[in-house]
Amino acid sequence: MNVSPSEAEEALAAIQTAIQKTRHSITHSGAYVTLIATGIVWLVGFTCTQFLQGEILVYIWVGLSILGSALGVFLGTRIGKRIRSPSTAPIARRIGAFWLLLALYAIAVIGIAHPTDGQQVTMLVILFIMLGQLAMSLLFSLSAVWWVLPVTALALIGYLLLPDIFYLWMAVLGGGGMIALGLYIRSRW
Amino acid sequence: MAELNEIIHQTVRLRIMAVLVTLEPTDEADFTYLRDLLKVTDGNLGAHLRKLEEAGYIAVNKTFVERKPRSFISATPAGRRVFQDHVAALQSILQNK
Repeated sequence: MNVSPSEAEEALAAIQTAIQKTRHSITHSGAYVTLIATGIVWLVGFTCTQFLQGEILVYIWVGLSILGSALGVFLGTRIGKRIRSPSTAPIARRIGAFWLLLALYAIAVIGIAHPTDGQQVTMLVILFIMLGQLAMSLLFSLSAVWWVLPVTALALIGYLLLPDIFYLWMAVLGGGGMIALGLYIRSRW
Repeated sequence: MAELNEIIHQTVRLRIMAVLVTLEPTDEADFTYLRDLLKVTDGNLGAHLRKLEEAGYIAVNKTFVERKPRSFISATPAGRRVFQDHVAALQSILQNK
């Protein structure tokens, strides 16, 4: 079989493109599902927190967290069906254990620190969630790191400089930003 | 010395193998995933998959998911080996030009 250098070059380029597309489809599909689900939870939850008060907020946040998690799992499973992997079950269990332990650590820190207001509790929870996302990104997909750091920076800016509209800031820029980013990644894929 | 493989060298089959080899050895790709990723028609993809399966380079696992027939495709160890050899042969052509 005879292949000229230019044919070899074309074939290698085709291989490289296919490999890149495959890697992107795997990493980006997970990223956009997480982004959109988290974004919706933040958008609705923080908007309610800005304008409502009292016990109802606890129920709203608990309900939204359950809905967001269910949506993420549902969409993730649907995409996961396109690539079957017997090796993902133990990893999924470890990821679940990681998030559970991180939640316990967050509860312990909040219990010890005794934050004085809701904004401090919110900021601590956001920092723990972003820390978890950062760990997931670094372990499973380096390309997803870049959205975690700007969202953390945005949250800190809102908390430190705009306390009066902090929740609205988080809803529009944090939640809305994540949804927009998720849709952008989806459209590019 | 790495050798070129005539069956794999065809463009669509080369891209199919590149996708499957990129996945973990235990992973299987859905037929529709491959079709959408490679932007080929059902018939075209099916024909190329048959050729690769006959050569023993891929395994096609036909099953039912939620009562619908589905085909999951994976690269066999022989397919992975032949693909790596083919890539090495292509690279050596470029290095020796």
